[in-house]
This record gives sequence, C-alpha cells and structure tokens, in this order.
Amino acid sequence: MADPGPDSQAMREEIIAVLPRLRRFCRGLTGHAENGDDLMQSTVERALGRAELFEAGTRVDAWMFRIARNLHIDAIRSVGRRGTQVDIDEIAETRGEDGRETVENRSDLAAAQRALQALPEEQRSAFLLVVVEGLSYREAAEVLEVPVGTIMSRLARARARIDAVVGRSQGTGND
Amino acid sequence: MTDRRGTDERLAAWLDGAMNPADAAAFEAEMAGNPALAEQAAAWRANDRQIADALAPLATEPIDPEWLAQMGLAESTAVAPAMPPAANDNPAWWQKRWVPVGGALAAGLALVLLVVGRPPEDPQDGGLSLALDSTPALQQAQLDDGRMIEPVLTARAADGRWCREYRIGDVAGLACREPQGWKVEAEVEAAPATKPDEIQLAGGTDNTGIAAANARLGTADPLGAADEAALIASKWGDR
Repeated sequence: MADPGPDSQAMREEIIAVLPRLRRFCRGLTGHAENGDDLMQSTVERALGRAELFEAGTRVDAWMFRIARNLHIDAIRSVGRRGTQVDIDEIAETRGEDGRETVENRSDLAAAQRALQALPEEQRSAFLLVVVEGLSYREAAEVLEVPVGTIMSRLARARARIDAVVGRSQGTGND
Repeated sequence: MTDRRGTDERLAAWLDGAMNPADAAAFEAEMAGNPALAEQAAAWRANDRQIADALAPLATEPIDPEWLAQMGLAESTAVAPAMPPAANDNPAWWQKRWVPVGGALAAGLALVLLVVGRPPEDPQDGGLSLALDSTPALQQAQLDDGRMIEPVLTARAADGRWCREYRIGDVAGLACREPQGWKVEAEVEAAPATKPDEIQLAGGTDNTGIAAANARLGTADPLGAADEAALIASKWGDR
C-alpha cells in the first residue's frame, strides 16, 4: 500500500518543480505572503496525500493550482460560517477593495496585490492563472472547472475592474 | 450593455491570444478605426504587465530546504554523491587557483567526474539555461527545483562557444552555450569550499573533470566582470 514506487518519486519531482509558481499563485490568491505560504503547504500536503488521484498525462501544475484554489475557497467559506474567527487573509476576502495594507513590502508588489484583492475571488483566480501563470483559457477552465467562455468573461471583468482601481489610485495621486 | 461586455470579452481574448486568426484580424481592424478601444487595449495590456512583472520575483524566491525536508520532498532533490567525500581539506575544483596555505592539495584533489558530454539540454533543463544566460559570476540564481546555482566564471571555448563554470551546492560544472540552451560539458562533486582566510593565490594545476573539460575545449582566459556583464546584456551576442 504505502509503496512509494517510481511514479511517486517522479510525482515528487514534478511537485518540486511547480512549487515556485504554486507559491506565487497562492500569494496572489490570498494577497498575503504568510497566508499564501500556508496555502502552498496545505496544497502540497493534499497533493502528496492524493497523488493516486492525479491523472497521468495531465499537467501537475494545473492539478496543484486546482487543489490550492479549492482549499482557498473552502477556507473562505468556513470563515463565513464561523463568523468571527478571521485572519487577515479572510478579511481581504470579505472586505475587498478597502485599501487594506498587505504584508508585502515592495511597493510595486503591494500595488499589484491591491489591484488583485479588489477582484472577486473567481476573477482573481482566472486572472492569475492566465495572465501571471500563462495558462490557456482551456487549461484555466479545467483548473476552475468552468466553461472556457466563463474564463473569457471573468478576464474581461477582472481587467475592467483592475483598470478602474489602478486608474483611480493614479488619478488621486496615490496614498 | 451587452455590446460593451461583448467588446470587453473580445478584447480579453485578443490580449490572451485566445482568438482564432480571422477573429483576431477582424478585431485589430476594429481597433484601428476606434481609438478609444485601442487605448483601452493599451491600458489593459499595461496593467497586465505591471501585475505580472510585480509578481514575477515571487516565483524566484528560494524554497526553504528545511520545509522541503519536512514535506518529504527534499530527498528527491539531493544530489547523491557517487562516492564518499575525500579528505575534507580537499579544495573545490575552482580552487586550483587558490590553494590552502601549506596544503599540498593539488595532488590530493579527489573529485568525481559525474557527467561528461551530456547531450544538449532541451529548454526544460530545470532553469539551468535561464540562470546561466542571465546571472553574473558570483551571484546566485534559483533553479526550478529550488537549488541555487552560482556561475563562477565565463570564458570562450576554442570552437567559439561561450562557456561558464558554475557551482550548484557541492556540484561544480562547466557548460557551454548553444542555440538551444546550455550544454553541460562536465559536472563534478566538489569538496566544500575552504574558508576564505585559509586560502591564498597560487598557481596550482590539476587534471580534474573541469580542468580536463577546459583542456578539451581549449577555453581561453576568463572574462573580466565588465566584459561578462556586457556579454550578458547583449544576450550573448544574439541579435
């Protein structure tokens, strides 16, 4: 049963290769370095625990992005049920674009995170997958388990929202 | 406003290369006659780039090796030594130029030749080509698997290729640049570096794997830092 065959070794190597991008995706999703790293860790644990569910011939990165995104949504929902017990990550999810400060210390990164956190989660994940991680619409559709047309409309709405947010902060001379 | 939404979606698809060529051509013609749309396209593209560029460095930060070990992932990246390390006062290969004071070590170099003449790597070489293309000597870059690579010097081979000696952990290597990427000419397990205060300049020679590869390739003297920087900036002379 617990026989780590050559496949699981190959799987581990693929997971390691994906980690830097997975971490970026997780930080973009959560808007927060530590929470993003926590999400990456949960994602890797889940992936290693369910390696047998990975479909050979599909992309490990897409599979891990899907796990990360689903864990992230679960966390948001569970916070919604518990009500009070929230951390800064979930505050971002429920408060949206309210000028919340991020822990990221580079100003361009902070600005990018502000724009991303102004998006609803479904638009943010689509934007991150396509624009930052370079997935095709079809690949992003598989990660997010929605039709390709939905990816396109989420990207259109995400960009319109980002442009409004970015334009606003530039127009007001910033904070 | 269905029209507006339809236009936004077509713009998104166009920016993402998700349109078929005929639709893309039609959309480009539409933009040519609609400055507002062209301006929107430019703004969206600029926003995309700004965000992607800002997030790009997040994917180059090293992954904590301890964390990898905790996750049970570390052992798969460890380079298994092909033989036990020799006497621990063996200098690493590049220290052929800096032999420890009083240490008659040139003869004692015990480096294990792991790879010679590996065929050219495809672009999926774990980030090696990218790192060697862009990292100045004595600075570090991260490979896809989290290990850090440090180019040591740059020199030209007799056949005209640019070659770089580098170090990845305890592995020292020599790779030469080819159109499809960097070809590893030699890699050796190297002893850990001795402390800087224990070394001094010396003219030692050896015939270890790297030196043998250098001899085979007829590499010239290494470039100075400025010349190397110019070479990197010129993308290795590529146009």
